[in-house]
Amino acid sequence: MTETTSHWQGSLDLAFRPQGDRTQMYRTYAKAPLKIQRPFYPENPAVCHSVSLHTAGGMVGGDRLSQQINLDRGSRALMTTVAATKVYRSNGLEAEQKIKMTLGDRAVLEWLPQETIVFNNAQYRQHTRIDLAPTASLIAWDIVRLGRSARGETFIGGAFGQNLEVWQNQQPLWIDRLWLPGNERIWHSENGLAQNPAIATLICFSPQIEPEIIAQLRQCTPSEAAKVGITQTQGGGLLCRYRGQSTAAARQWLIQIWAMLRQSLWQTPVCIPRVWQLQSLQG
Amino acid sequence: MSTSEALGLLNLLQLASPALPVGAYSYSEGIETLIEQQVIRDRDSLYTWLDTELSYGSIRIETAIMVRAYLATQSEDWEKVSFWNSWLSASRETLELRRSSQQMGQTLLKLVEDLEPGVTAHLPAHSCNYAIAFGVAASRWQIDLESATLAYLQAWTTHLIGAGVKLIPLGQTTGQQLLWMLRDRLMTTAAAVRSLPDSALSSCNWGLSLASMAHETQYMRLFRS
Repeated sequence: MTETTSHWQGSLDLAFRPQGDRTQMYRTYAKAPLKIQRPFYPENPAVCHSVSLHTAGGMVGGDRLSQQINLDRGSRALMTTVAATKVYRSNGLEAEQKIKMTLGDRAVLEWLPQETIVFNNAQYRQHTRIDLAPTASLIAWDIVRLGRSARGETFIGGAFGQNLEVWQNQQPLWIDRLWLPGNERIWHSENGLAQNPAIATLICFSPQIEPEIIAQLRQCTPSEAAKVGITQTQGGGLLCRYRGQSTAAARQWLIQIWAMLRQSLWQTPVCIPRVWQLQSLQG
Repeated sequence: MSTSEALGLLNLLQLASPALPVGAYSYSEGIETLIEQQVIRDRDSLYTWLDTELSYGSIRIETAIMVRAYLATQSEDWEKVSFWNSWLSASRETLELRRSSQQMGQTLLKLVEDLEPGVTAHLPAHSCNYAIAFGVAASRWQIDLESATLAYLQAWTTHLIGAGVKLIPLGQTTGQQLLWMLRDRLMTTAAAVRSLPDSALSSCNWGLSLASMAHETQYMRLFRS
């Protein structure tokens, strides 16, 4: 098959720095279909909230997206997306997204995108690499729905790959290389999805993490039957995983954890991004 | 069989023996939890778990890192051995799995050094993972890579069957039947793992990760992972 259609090569390149008591987004380069909305400050000027969006609605095979996010020393940002990211059934090619984040000294990033919906027969691979200064803090989550479960679709064709790496001083702290081929065996087996379309991961790294927090976080329970777990990574980080029926329940669980972490690390309550509340909460 | 081949075989039998005192018997890699949850409850469900792990799970990655440690040792590239050791530590799913891998690795390293002083001089002094120690030992002990890969996977399978036999419980003969049934899978996985490029070092570890996290807080347990 000759490939004649052109594919999106969208990109985002953002950089944050402190200016007085305010975190300023001083580099905002966006190439369609990725866009970034004007930053806002619903909490205080130190925390820059920003929302990115995919103007074409979703990714198809052959699309290549890349994002580069830099937080200079002492800056603080919260990032999310305006809506779920859809990855459509593949035309034979793989869709790919590369995200690179660099956090300088004492920088704080909360990376809380809305869910990714990977359609059955989609081919999608996402690489995320985060380079953390030892004094920087990160809370990042990733919520994925495999198959359009609301329509009864199951993920039994295609593949979903997700590489998530956190490095510090050129040493890997956390490497998560997930490869989920869509097939009956992975869908049904306990090793894989055990017939659960929703999976989610949260990681947290910060010099402010107290080891006792893990026992508190384990008190958070999901609203629906789901398997969840929390463990400690190298470098005193935290890893939380969810596998269940609905991404809405996954998000509710993750928000509880996020709230506890925010309280413990910075003594601040959560500030729910307004864009989330517009979303329907159907699984 | 030449003398060196005979030596290689003897070394392999010693390295892969369940009697190797590295403490493998104390780790179940989540199986204790899965048995408590009744996900694994008999011969067939244990077979399915192990067969699926060997087909898609993180044991493939661990074995592929053992292969890398073996090859790097042959070319005396200690920096590479150390890189893959850090990589493996970072990719272990949970605290328990990381600890078990490092505890067994340190013990094996010390044993290898006791048998043949000087052999482990260039290795990471702390937190050496089992797969790394095994790869280094296999290379130093003139075991061919194909045999070392099969043996690594077979030893892993044997010790998890042992955990299942003890906990489900199953008869010893049933345990041996399971190992017998998994021979084809062990061969396929060993062949696939040896040719796995770095970009394909990924796995479906969701079930293992959740089971191992649950094990960390399990109330009654005999095993350390």
